[in-house]
Amino acid sequence: MRSMPAVLLIEDDDRIRLSLTLGLEDEGYAVRGAASAEEGLAAQRREPADTVLVDLMLPGVDGFECIRQLRRHDDVPIVVVSARDDTHDIVAALEAGADDYLVKPVAVKELSARLRALRRRARSALSPASALVFGDLEIRPLAGEVTLRGQPVALTRTEFRLLCALAEHPGQVLSRAQLLERVWEYAYGDERLVDVHVGRLRHKIEDDPGAPRYLVTVRGMGYKLQR
Amino acid sequence: MRRPGLRTRVTAGFATGALVLSASMAALSYDLTRRTLTAGRERTAIRAAYQDATVVHAGLGTDRPDIVEVLRSLDTGGTRRAILRRDGDWYARNADSGLTDSVPASLRRMVEQGRPAIQRVRTDSGPALVIGVPLPESTGFYVIDSLQELDRTLRVLALVLTLVAIGTTAAGAGLGWYVTRRALRPLDTVAAAAREITAGDLDARLDPSTEPDLERLATSFNEMVDQLAARLDRDRRFAADVSHELRSPLQTLAAATGVLDRYRSQLDQRAATAVTLLTEEVARFQMLVTDLLELARGDEAPRRTPVDMADLARQVCLTRGLSADLVHAGEGSTVWRVDRRRFTQVLGNLLDNADRHGGGARAVRLGRAADVVFLEVDDDGPGVRPEDRDVIFDRFVRGRPARARGDSDGTGLGLALVHRHVTTHGGRVFVTDRPGGGARFRVELPQDQV
Repeated sequence: MRSMPAVLLIEDDDRIRLSLTLGLEDEGYAVRGAASAEEGLAAQRREPADTVLVDLMLPGVDGFECIRQLRRHDDVPIVVVSARDDTHDIVAALEAGADDYLVKPVAVKELSARLRALRRRARSALSPASALVFGDLEIRPLAGEVTLRGQPVALTRTEFRLLCALAEHPGQVLSRAQLLERVWEYAYGDERLVDVHVGRLRHKIEDDPGAPRYLVTVRGMGYKLQR
Repeated sequence: MRRPGLRTRVTAGFATGALVLSASMAALSYDLTRRTLTAGRERTAIRAAYQDATVVHAGLGTDRPDIVEVLRSLDTGGTRRAILRRDGDWYARNADSGLTDSVPASLRRMVEQGRPAIQRVRTDSGPALVIGVPLPESTGFYVIDSLQELDRTLRVLALVLTLVAIGTTAAGAGLGWYVTRRALRPLDTVAAAAREITAGDLDARLDPSTEPDLERLATSFNEMVDQLAARLDRDRRFAADVSHELRSPLQTLAAATGVLDRYRSQLDQRAATAVTLLTEEVARFQMLVTDLLELARGDEAPRRTPVDMADLARQVCLTRGLSADLVHAGEGSTVWRVDRRRFTQVLGNLLDNADRHGGGARAVRLGRAADVVFLEVDDDGPGVRPEDRDVIFDRFVRGRPARARGDSDGTGLGLALVHRHVTTHGGRVFVTDRPGGGARFRVELPQDQV
């Protein structure tokens, strides 16, 4: 039997932590709880989990800073589960490095579906050996590697899947809805996810993120990756 | 009737003042000038008449004088005409009898009684003075002195004075208009600041130092905005706190009832029923809280992006287990610039409403009319009574069929949210009868905004 995926749950409310732990365990996850960002960061260093769930309003170091510190040396999928539904908070959390954002209350089944989607490897119909080349940018979907002028680029899993989704259709526009469906497996959802992730990706693969050479916006339609 | 504006009233006041002032000045100066000129003219006329009378008197002193010849010898110029009456007969230089009619009978009587007299008369050729001088031997000498020239002068004067009065009145009105504009200009600044604040810029303030006279207004205006901003901020923080405090226990409830639900089959009948009730009520409570919080913050500006409404409608149908074939898109583009999240909710709530109260959705129609884009959701229910058609968009109003059925109905906020979302997009939503029965909910947005 495959070992159960481990989830680190950083949540200061004891009752929420306990109830989510029960629910996620029923869904087949091994859940580790942490009541503060400090505790969670230490736990992740000691014994890395496969995914991290984090609340934004935490005592001491807050959720945004926690995500930033996690991201510093980890490509683990991070999902924010917060009572805050303000656009500013959502965008700030995604920009800090979160992969998805769910507003409380969220059903455990929904949460589990999100976690499954984020943990999936990039799918690719292309031949495994070949690299996809866009100018100085080389993408190897199966190896999970991206290089820019031969130098490896560190991407999170979600960023990598987004890049692959676009790379599979060179020069072709994909709408935000299509990208949400392919990368996050949302039937319909929050398009800010796509926008913020595209922004993060540009900072890593573009020389000038303000005037992108590869990942360009097509006004009113979506995004495309061009050679 | 609406009271005219301050500016109109001040302008009218200035104009009236200028009119009264200039009209009385004009009347006064006209009267004074007329008196002076008339008196002067009369004096001249009398002097000339007496000179003529002296000449005539001398001429008549001879034996058997030729009266007409004597009269002809007078230097009367163009304005004076002399006639003489002796023993009931009239004598004139020319044989124009009309002239004699100009001499009023009363004046003639006075002269015949030996008294000189003067009278203003109106002749065929305009106003004139008739001066009668009694001469010996029952003779009366009359001079008819035309006042036409004086009359013309006075008429020109009156015209000039009237024009000046009109001009002064207009200038007064203009001054009033200008002064009020100058005086009201600082109020325009206040109005502009108020507009900015209405548009959401709570940092807009007035500078009390720019207009010393309006310093108090500016100061109290700024204080008002400060308080308003503070209150709004307090409200926002309160709403955020409420949101957090409500969502947190709901999260525990949602996760815990999820766990309970999973183990329902292992519970006895009574406990299982209780768990079912609990799960359903938690779900409903969750919807209610989410909808209420959404309503509470619903007047935020929409975040517009191009959305293919036909696609979105099909997706929303699919998530509710309905066929995507329900969606009928008319001719032309179905891409609207709207807030995707809110319109997902609009579509979802209209479909849910059709499901709960209208026997299920019959069709979702998208199209363009004169200057609007529209979205219609038809259902198969009993329709909405005319008196209920506005009320159903209020909060906590539920349709009767649902109450009669008694099962878990909606939150009573679904259509209120639809109304709020459509309104913040500058559109409107209303319900009509569907041809062939059932209700038709129609959302219209102005075409130039989508």
